[in-house]
Amino acid sequence: MHIVVCAKQVPNPEAAFSMFRIDEEAKRMVPAPGLQLVMSPFDEQAVEAALRIREHHADARTTVLTLGPDSARNAIKHGLAMGADEGVLLCDAAFEDADSYTTAHALVAAIRKLGRCDLVLTGRQAADWDAGVVGAGVGELLGLPVITFAKDVHVEDTTVRIERVLDDGTEIMEAAMPALVTVSNELGAARTPNLRETMRAARKPVTVWKAADLGLAADEVGAAGARRVVERLFVPVKNNRCEFIAGSPEEQAAGLAQRLRAAKLI
Amino acid sequence: MPKREIEGDWVMGWPDRKRPVLVAGKDSQGRVINGRAPITELEGLITPTDAYYVVNQLEVPEPIHPDDWILTIGGEVERPIELSLKDLQKLPGRTVRAVTECAGNDAGFFDYLMKGGGKPSRINQQDMQKRAAQREQNAVPSTEEISNESTTTCAMSAGEFTGVPLAEVLKKAGLKAGAVSVRMEGFDRGQPDLAVQYRSVGRSDFKLVDPGVINYEKGLPVEKALHPDTLLAWSMNGEYLLHVHGAPVRAIVPGWSGNWWVKWLQKIEVLKHMPECYYQKHYFVYGNAPDDPNKEMITAMGVRCIIVDPLDEDSPLERGSHKIRGLAWSGMGAITRVEVSLDEGKSWREAHLEEPRERWLWVRWSYLWEANEPGHYRVMARATDETGRVQPQIPWNYQRKHFDGIVPADVTIV
Repeated sequence: MHIVVCAKQVPNPEAAFSMFRIDEEAKRMVPAPGLQLVMSPFDEQAVEAALRIREHHADARTTVLTLGPDSARNAIKHGLAMGADEGVLLCDAAFEDADSYTTAHALVAAIRKLGRCDLVLTGRQAADWDAGVVGAGVGELLGLPVITFAKDVHVEDTTVRIERVLDDGTEIMEAAMPALVTVSNELGAARTPNLRETMRAARKPVTVWKAADLGLAADEVGAAGARRVVERLFVPVKNNRCEFIAGSPEEQAAGLAQRLRAAKLI
Repeated sequence: MPKREIEGDWVMGWPDRKRPVLVAGKDSQGRVINGRAPITELEGLITPTDAYYVVNQLEVPEPIHPDDWILTIGGEVERPIELSLKDLQKLPGRTVRAVTECAGNDAGFFDYLMKGGGKPSRINQQDMQKRAAQREQNAVPSTEEISNESTTTCAMSAGEFTGVPLAEVLKKAGLKAGAVSVRMEGFDRGQPDLAVQYRSVGRSDFKLVDPGVINYEKGLPVEKALHPDTLLAWSMNGEYLLHVHGAPVRAIVPGWSGNWWVKWLQKIEVLKHMPECYYQKHYFVYGNAPDDPNKEMITAMGVRCIIVDPLDEDSPLERGSHKIRGLAWSGMGAITRVEVSLDEGKSWREAHLEEPRERWLWVRWSYLWEANEPGHYRVMARATDETGRVQPQIPWNYQRKHFDGIVPADVTIV
């Protein structure tokens, strides 16, 4: 069984909010110096899901697939240190400024090039843009059944069985493999790489493919092939208004209740 | 119980051990404003700079470019002078290796040894981020909140500092006869964080003196100021000081607790009297109660000895040979002896002291314990320094400063 985990490197979401800056003119985020880049935590949980499957299926092989700059190699290394078997980095100037569509398009070309793939796992969304589109896009372009927001992933023979998170509970779903599953944080904490696995990971292969290696023309990937247009990128302004309610404690309580009701908060 | 699995990380592109990191609190700009050293995870004598503990009484100031920095020396001197960093570096330099320890380090053990109850931990430390947030909001915790908080541990580190003896600078300016103290002022400025002081006392149901906005300052007695190892340092652990550690120049006052090691120096003033600095008249004092009329400023640390292995958290241990390891240091001189007790202090056995044994640096010690009998053990260790002081030296005081008691490691052998 071959499991491909699509993982993205993102600015550390644990970093202070003030470390993030927006260049409104260029419509892009400006990374602060020293801001750590990490594997998106939802993707880390997708790797975890793959490794849990492997614990019950000795023949399972896990590939971590990433599209990004050369620094994204570290995200792959993290996945390999967790226990994945091999990594593929899609790194090419032509991939820069990709949108969800061109990212999915490149990932699909890579998955096809990898050969047989029984299960594709992704995080429910990347922790930087939070769009949550690429995973479903990869499934659509590959023509696979897509199940989102998994908190538990089990493989039985040729079927993948998912416990899926809903607003008010969970549901159990099954799909014939190959299939694509997006993994949610309810899966639980991802394992921490230990030194032995990290050192072993140094010997695991990381393959780097450019657009041409995937048979993709420069104008169908990255910014050139993008279908999404960013109209405006900005940090919303938060306005705080403070009102002191005068009167006796009873009047203050009544006034507070009225205002909360007017604001439809109660 | 087996030791925790060693974590791995990618360091400079190579697979390696995950590096011990500072347990830090950051301000809303993501800047570290406090931190505790991962003392139980470190090997050797020198604490890596990025794992060195951080404590600040006032707000961390905006950095000053080294080329724009000027140190003013005035007061009771023949020739008031101003020195740039380059001027300072032309004077005869000196390197000192010393322990820096926050005066309030391990304060919670005072209560633990006197009254029992919850034992502070050196690995499950305080929530530094919560403290950083409280600091930004100037929030004063209630007595109840304070009593539910864990107290400070791991506010100690050791480093190598290079600079120039303060005595050389005073010599250049010409120290007048009759000088009593040397006031050192930093360019960190702000209103004292009252929550820190309430925490040190363990309650907040009394009124503190609020001096308003001040610069951090300490008045060093002239004898200590003239000690050749008291430095104005620009370098730490082989590189220029980091801003968070007091760049461009900070004071190094070996043997005395961290509050004397004034960071971000900008002014030195020689006085004929002891100045009434807030941080030696109202805080960082020995006394019996907040209203004690006979408070005394704290100076040299006591005699310290801590066990870093095994920790309570390592228990239970399997029968067999175990190496008990730790660190010992003193505010008055080199450590000459460490003893270990396995029977709650009834008998003491000599531990091995590793070289080097420097005057201001801590020493690593060890004792090979053949633990063949199952049961619960209170492993204790105590140190003696070259002046003959045996711990503990410092009695309980209401701000709980300079704890140097004997803290047992509670271990079960199975």
